Amino acid sequence: MPGRQLIMNFEVTPTSHTFADYKARGGYETLGKALAMAPADITKEVTASGLLGHGGAAFPVGRKWGVMKPNPGEIHYLCANADEGEPGTFKDRWILEHAPHLLVESMLITSYALGVRHAFVYIRGEFDLPYRRIQAAIDEAYAAGLLGKPVPGSDFTLDIVVYRGAGSYVCGEASGLITSIEGRKPYPRNRPPRLTVKGLFQKPTVINNVESLANITGIIRMGAEEFRKVGTAKSPGTQLISISGHIAKPGVYEVEYGYSWAKFLDEDCGGMLHGAKMKCVVPGGISTKVLTRAEIENLTLSHESVNPAGSGLGSGGMIVIAEGTCMVRLLQVLLRFYHHESCGQCTPCREGMGWMHRIIDRILAGEGLPEDIDRLYAISHANDGTTICGMGDAAGFATVGILNKFRDEFEYFIANKRSKMDGRLECPA
Amino acid sequence: MRHLIPEFEKMKERFPAGFEESLVLPCLHRIQADRGFVADEDIVALCEYLKVPRIQVEEVLSYYTMLRREGIGKTHLQVCRNIACSMRGAEGVIEHACKRLGVKPGATTADGKFTLSTVECLGSCGTAPVVMVNDAYHENITLETLDRIIDGVVEERAVEIKK
Amino acid sequence: MPRLSIDGREIEAKAGQTVMQAARDNGIFIPYFCWHPNLSVPGNCRICVVGVAEKDGGEWVEIACNMPVAEGMVVFTASEKVKARRKATMEFITLNHPVDCGICDKAGECTLQDYHFEYNGERSVSRDAKTHATKHFDLSDRIVLDNERCIQCTRCVRFTREISKSNGLGMLDRGDHSIVRPSADGSFATDAYSDNVIDLCPVGALLAKDFLHQARVWYLKATPSVCPGCERGCGVNLWHRKDEWMLRSPRQAARNEGIDRVTPIENPAVNGPWVCNKARDLPKLLGRTRAAGAMFKGAPAPLEAAVLEARTLITEAKRPAAVISSWASNEELAAFKAALGARFALVGKRDHEPQPGEVVQDDLLIRADKNPNAAGVRAVLGECAAQVPGDADLVLVWGEGFDFRAVPAGAKIVFLNAFLAPENGHADVFLPVSIQTERSGHYTNFAGVTSRFEPCFAPAAGVLHAEALFGSLAGNGRGA
Repeated sequence: MPGRQLIMNFEVTPTSHTFADYKARGGYETLGKALAMAPADITKEVTASGLLGHGGAAFPVGRKWGVMKPNPGEIHYLCANADEGEPGTFKDRWILEHAPHLLVESMLITSYALGVRHAFVYIRGEFDLPYRRIQAAIDEAYAAGLLGKPVPGSDFTLDIVVYRGAGSYVCGEASGLITSIEGRKPYPRNRPPRLTVKGLFQKPTVINNVESLANITGIIRMGAEEFRKVGTAKSPGTQLISISGHIAKPGVYEVEYGYSWAKFLDEDCGGMLHGAKMKCVVPGGISTKVLTRAEIENLTLSHESVNPAGSGLGSGGMIVIAEGTCMVRLLQVLLRFYHHESCGQCTPCREGMGWMHRIIDRILAGEGLPEDIDRLYAISHANDGTTICGMGDAAGFATVGILNKFRDEFEYFIANKRSKMDGRLECPA
Repeated sequence: MRHLIPEFEKMKERFPAGFEESLVLPCLHRIQADRGFVADEDIVALCEYLKVPRIQVEEVLSYYTMLRREGIGKTHLQVCRNIACSMRGAEGVIEHACKRLGVKPGATTADGKFTLSTVECLGSCGTAPVVMVNDAYHENITLETLDRIIDGVVEERAVEIKK
Repeated sequence: MPRLSIDGREIEAKAGQTVMQAARDNGIFIPYFCWHPNLSVPGNCRICVVGVAEKDGGEWVEIACNMPVAEGMVVFTASEKVKARRKATMEFITLNHPVDCGICDKAGECTLQDYHFEYNGERSVSRDAKTHATKHFDLSDRIVLDNERCIQCTRCVRFTREISKSNGLGMLDRGDHSIVRPSADGSFATDAYSDNVIDLCPVGALLAKDFLHQARVWYLKATPSVCPGCERGCGVNLWHRKDEWMLRSPRQAARNEGIDRVTPIENPAVNGPWVCNKARDLPKLLGRTRAAGAMFKGAPAPLEAAVLEARTLITEAKRPAAVISSWASNEELAAFKAALGARFALVGKRDHEPQPGEVVQDDLLIRADKNPNAAGVRAVLGECAAQVPGDADLVLVWGEGFDFRAVPAGAKIVFLNAFLAPENGHADVFLPVSIQTERSGHYTNFAGVTSRFEPCFAPAAGVLHAEALFGSLAGNGRGA
């Protein structure tokens, strides 16, 4: 167990996701406690907890909430971001499948704190079991009288709608998400205005990642002070890490912030697949910069440890890469993805993604030119902070991260018209 | 589409007031689940029902990868080819699927039984490689389990692969 | 009223403005493709970036079109950072843009050309071939779309959503496969304002079919005029050949006398920056075959003799009636009043009525009265009768649209018309007169706004200006 567990702290059984099992573990008791608090005090508690968002940006949750103070007569919305499109990430899915009521209770508490009457769970259209589980949990909550009418003992009412996406990575971007709910093409929006000022149908809206919300119940139950005892001062609490790639035991693990990265990989996750040597790791979703094994040897899984090393924990989508993997082919898979997912609105991303994809394809076809590497850098730089949403930046980080660490493989491929690693993406047995 | 309107009316009840336009996507999902794709007449009927401009529905339909305007094979095999799946054998799965079905990704078999697609990350990286068989995720796919899925469809029996 | 500085110059902005708006109000230019003062702000082209000074001496760069003004802001429109960013943006925009300038109608008035030279100026840095898309897509009967040239600014799409409200255009698909297409319900084809997207398009993606490959824009000059299509009187520029670019072949000479295209003149008091499609079709409306010469009951007559005969008929008439053209300019009306107004019973006329299929009236620009100067007639001549008096012994018909069955039996007819028409032969005396492109003048629109038009051409020999003619028709045989 990589540290204390706050979310994955129960045994998963064929019924552990049900209302009955959740209640048996103390579920919906914290809701009662929360509804007896003033909404502002809930926000205060969440702020004091130091909870950082788990969608990838690690933005302080309390600070986002603080902009949207409850105001009777003013319509506010809450959206749980269950789009989970960042390659390497599959932890919100764990919560939806195994702890959907934790999300429901957290959304009730959050909505109460923020003056929200209608909330949404935006779930990517491809998810099958997670969708059925969260919809079933919501149906159970309605049947139990917790949704759709005043929660017993209070005058607070919440409706939750599960809204299915239909295949688009940018729906994981907060403004793309709400534009999708509006029934239009999910184009992200420029800011200002912030979504907490003008969001869904131009009303103040908070969008939080599923895991961020899942933490709310625990924070209110134990209090901010107790919560801060878990993790580190700068990274309180835990993070659900989705680990995949060339690792022996891929899956979702809850890691207490501050836990040793090397220990996590070598012990908790069973070490490298087939006993291979580790080459590098994508720390938190493909939009974070790769770090070599040497670079992470003494790092802990915390923001204050990983950020200065030149990367970030992002969405916790950790992809482990073994020695012998061709980083040129790997980058091609990523650029193909970004090109496919670009919404096409703004110039640098729309043109830049296609450009980078064509360059990497040309390199892989043995027609690379020495200047291609600098061109990939230039396109990445021209997408850094210049686009409507973060996708341009993300593609740039992924590219620059790999080029910075493995430029030699690209130079080799261009000079020799073939991969230095025999084009390997898999880890040999 | 008209026979779905009672369902749409129930769907509407769950949404807040003023959210008629929101129904575009859920209705399209339902129409496609019903017919297998969204037909021109469905678009016309939906625009009438929701009072949205036709171009809005056309834009939405053209944008999302899961929505289609033409029918496909009875079984849609969607193989993820994103990073974790590629690192755990997706390319071999895709190659094998192409060989077994005799089509390239994006195409439908002549007998209409299968459509093969390659897709981006499905959020199942820990159990890579992953294939969606119609709506269901089938994880930890091997060439053997892929064969069992394909054989199951061909022989028209249910196959439980899942995880 | 926030005060900020742009490039070292202190300006005062209005509360709620963006830096783009404040800059423009103060004559400071910031480049833009997707932004338009009358459309929503999509902020997608990214060319309008400006630098803003940070407290620590740094500079952040962001688009100006969506940047609220703030008190004390220090903005740079041409810092090194901004220039580098603009250059990169131009590299992206021109990455797959076909170098069609040699055959593209937009050349010479193309924002992309201008900005390329201003903000980049170098050849493409790409080592990959340009991608391709549909070159000639029939967006409608009137407009052709070249998807390769399109820079996805979405101005055309937003125009149909926000201004004409036809929802006729959309951006389908996504990424660099995004493509402008018309709605399958045909709403773009029936959008009476569709052609405004041609002006809006900053590149040569949207082009008028009528004007396609007719002339380079620098062969043409724009003469300000007023659209006579309805009583809105939108400001228009009529484009026609400059003297030095006149076609020299005798077989093409007729084109030198025609209008090649029509674009709006922005007039906040009348039409804003838009016109309806009828204005675009003025070349056809004004280019109809002209009445070539004077006639006596359809037989050609010498001009002086015809004028003399008309004067005689008018002088001898005891109960003359004049049917007044609602296409008359204020100047022509004043001349009529001075020379002949006292003698004639005045009858009003709508020279043109709405045609089948034509929008009659809407809440944007189009008005039901399809004539430019009914208000001018009222202002100069007062209320005119609806019908020709039954006892009129001479009817002076001025302009089109008169039903000659309304002439009392036995009455003489003097007919002034510009265009060739069978009715011209009904008149005892027919005199060909000039149209608005052959003289200057003013129309007054339905709201009382008076606008001026200028001449593009000289009238053909034998065509009279009505303004001068009325003087000749008055009097007792004196004067020409």
